[in-house]
Amino acid sequence: MTQASARSADEINLADQEIFLRGEAHDLFRILRRERPVHWSAPAASALSGFWSITKLDDVVQISRNPELFISGHGITMQSPQGSTQIQNNPILSGRMMISTDPPDHVRLRRLVNKGFTPRAVRSLEPHIREITTGIIDDVAARGSCDFVTDVAAQLPLAVICELMGIDRQYWQLMFELTNRVLGSSDAEYQTEGDTVGTIEAARATAMQGWGRMFEHFMNMIEERKAQPRQDLVGILVNADIDGEQLSLGDILQFCALLVIAGNETTRNAISGGMLALAQHPEEKQRLIDHPELIDTAVEEILRWTSPVAHMARVATRDIEIRGQRIREGERVVMWYGSVNRDEDYFEDPYRFDITRSPNDHLAFGIGEHFCLGAGFARLEIKVMFQELLRRLPDITTAGPPELLRSNFIAGIKHLPVEYTPER
Amino acid sequence: MRVRVDPDRCEGNLRCQNAAPEVFEVRDDLSHVLLDDVPEALRHKVERAIRLCPRQAIDWLRA
Repeated sequence: MTQASARSADEINLADQEIFLRGEAHDLFRILRRERPVHWSAPAASALSGFWSITKLDDVVQISRNPELFISGHGITMQSPQGSTQIQNNPILSGRMMISTDPPDHVRLRRLVNKGFTPRAVRSLEPHIREITTGIIDDVAARGSCDFVTDVAAQLPLAVICELMGIDRQYWQLMFELTNRVLGSSDAEYQTEGDTVGTIEAARATAMQGWGRMFEHFMNMIEERKAQPRQDLVGILVNADIDGEQLSLGDILQFCALLVIAGNETTRNAISGGMLALAQHPEEKQRLIDHPELIDTAVEEILRWTSPVAHMARVATRDIEIRGQRIREGERVVMWYGSVNRDEDYFEDPYRFDITRSPNDHLAFGIGEHFCLGAGFARLEIKVMFQELLRRLPDITTAGPPELLRSNFIAGIKHLPVEYTPER
Repeated sequence: MRVRVDPDRCEGNLRCQNAAPEVFEVRDDLSHVLLDDVPEALRHKVERAIRLCPRQAIDWLRA
């Protein structure tokens, strides 16, 4: 029996990545919101610890706004971090990654780079982002068909984050491949040769290999910038000073990895998922073509609809009740953004894709201490991409079903065939 | 009623200005409070700004 046909909340376990591969998660979220909005999944054979699934918007806001009570330092996915002594003794792995730090470290790390991500900074790059987008569409416009994910959606966020970081153009494709291996390690397509494809061991080996190659690359970039200072994000991290203290090599490497992963694997899926949603709702697509001024609310609806980050996790630092359910100190809570962004208490007719939806206070970027640093870039990239696409290739639509990523962390689309009248 | 914006947390996301333009103005990536005393009529708008601020940078200043 598949879990989608599960009648009760007891039978649901969102650790099962097949649910997401088959696109059944939303049906299960609906059951959980109704029957068991704070839902326990027992430890599974795959060495996962048990975890609480949080599926209502109010609860995710409360957890996110209490970063001392619900901490990120013990890992931000439903998987617990492995062997802590092994990590403590490794100078790279022991580096701090902003996304899994807590107050007061988190704000200190964030302030090193956040001026580069403010609305003003983002706005100043709009002409350049439009130029990149034009180039991406130029490359496919005459063809009449392409793989929307790899040829279009992936290319824009990849170019933007790589330029911000100062990664040479010849390595952009490598970065695309490595971030796929790290975040898509459970998907056979990204598992490297020689692994026993499809097993947990293969997933671990793939992720480790991706991290290793990434760190190797950043190590070289750091050395270059120590020899000759540069003003890109990697250069800023190399020269960073927090109250007279430098970042460790591990800190810098972790920061670089976070930037390239978060810059790459999220907006890509918002753009791909947005294309899919517009193809599945041709009347909404036509409305956007006829009324380009609706683009801003359309972007918000695409973000709500796709919720590219499927979950983030926190660990409780003391016993606490949520909706009358006792969460014990040390237990993990998993916040499902795809669910809260269809919470009936906040979104009228939540399963309707409506490019004029208002209000639309979705949590696709999270909220509070760890609110997505790159939200401004994500919004602008999605906006410019659909403005240019619908202007130049207005009849673009899907030519086959999407291939989904096997992951319960990233709501990913690996491939999406599209067709359109070739541009002359 | 007095409201304050924590400049260390604010990242100029504009949500407060959109929710309560009478009270908040974002200049140079930082939200500024325009009124020393928020009238009762604007309480709801400010509450909404507090709720929507992605960085939790806004709060009432308790006397």
